[in-house]
Amino acid sequence: MYVWEFAALKPYWGLIWQGLLVTLFYTVTTVTAGLLIGLIVGILRTTAPRWVSVPLRLYIEIFRCTPLLVQLVWMYYALPVLIGVDMSPAMACFVALSLYAGSFYAEILRGGIEAVDVGQWEAGRAIGMRRGKIFRRIVLPQATQVMIPSFINQTIMQLKNTSLVSVVAVGDLLYQGSVITATSYKPLEVYTTIAVLYFVVLFPLTLVADQIEQRMGAHR
Amino acid sequence: MSALVASNIHKAFGDHEVLKGVSLSVERGEVVTLIGASGSGKSTFLRCLNLLEMPQQGELAIGSHTFVFGRGMRPTGDAQLALLRRSVGMVFQHFNLFPHMSVLANVTEGPVQVKGMARAEANTLGRDLLAKVGLADKADAFPSRLSGGQKQRVAIARALAMKPEMMLFDEPTSALDPELVGEVLSVIRNLAAEGMTMVLVTHEMSFAADVSTRVGFMNDGIMAEIGTPEETIRQPRSERLKAFLSRFHETH
Repeated sequence: MYVWEFAALKPYWGLIWQGLLVTLFYTVTTVTAGLLIGLIVGILRTTAPRWVSVPLRLYIEIFRCTPLLVQLVWMYYALPVLIGVDMSPAMACFVALSLYAGSFYAEILRGGIEAVDVGQWEAGRAIGMRRGKIFRRIVLPQATQVMIPSFINQTIMQLKNTSLVSVVAVGDLLYQGSVITATSYKPLEVYTTIAVLYFVVLFPLTLVADQIEQRMGAHR
Repeated sequence: MSALVASNIHKAFGDHEVLKGVSLSVERGEVVTLIGASGSGKSTFLRCLNLLEMPQQGELAIGSHTFVFGRGMRPTGDAQLALLRRSVGMVFQHFNLFPHMSVLANVTEGPVQVKGMARAEANTLGRDLLAKVGLADKADAFPSRLSGGQKQRVAIARALAMKPEMMLFDEPTSALDPELVGEVLSVIRNLAAEGMTMVLVTHEMSFAADVSTRVGFMNDGIMAEIGTPEETIRQPRSERLKAFLSRFHETH
């Protein structure tokens, strides 16, 4: 029977910690950038004329319908060849992860906006409000309520998706795991520890999400 | 002086011509009710009066606002539309209250956000209006806690908060349970008694006869008959109106 030796990981705790920080860093920065992209693209998709919304649709579908792994590798290896910009692995990862998240957030936002009854727009117009104000004060707050569950889901996925940056040798949690495995020969202990760490970060997030959802749903 | 003059209003949705040149002028303090079968264009016409629907042809004058519609005319801008709608209140069939705001916030949203009224002043105005529609105790409730009749009364207070020169009602009692219709009609009746200029679309025939200065019958996209309630409802001239009224009396 296999004897678990978690003690063997002791010398590597510094590396694991470092990896965890990198994972969290990529999650926070790419979720933020992705949200910004999603907000702009999502709003434009619902309000802008066709010559704007059709290319945006194209962007969304390309990033939603191709594997993130391929996007990362492509961003790192192919983009420099095509347009001559050299990106560091870190930059390529940031760009790919942000655009990937942005495409999903944009669709979540669009769905949320379109789920708000047209009567809400009309009620705002009927009291003399202008488009931008109706959007900010009436539609967006209601769209947000609808969006929260999908948004949290996508953000959880985003944190897990950052593990793919290890492919281009960015030192996230998973990458450090593979490095440690190569020297310690303890893959079971290493990957179990990493799984536990992902869980410990994400599980509280889902609890917070439940709470927000309940509080926001209180007046529906 | 006329509060509203709409001339030769045309509106089509795709190939379907809903309004085929409808005209109506309303004097200050008048209550004009529009009746007619569903699909006759009465709601669309009402929605043209605050330009929630844009007519494709015709003219509209409300207070100091005048609009001319037609091919080659510049489309009316968002700012200009907003200015018109400040002075024309509208009440919808399905209330369209803002579900994420308290009853009081629903009422004060217009004054604060559109007119820039101070919060305290708006709250006082809001509470006064809620008292006027009999809902002073619901100021802090959320719309989801209210009955249909209460929701519609909040919607009326919300429209009144803009101090409009005119009110439009689009089937304000059609979505209500029968026992809740009365409370909404009595609020509208009080407004009429105060001299508010109003245009109503309704299926409440006896209420229309009672409260209106004139009743218009719309049929197939035109104003088929218009006159005092006595003329339109009690002595209909056209066969279509007779048929509509008798169909109506059978089912109500």
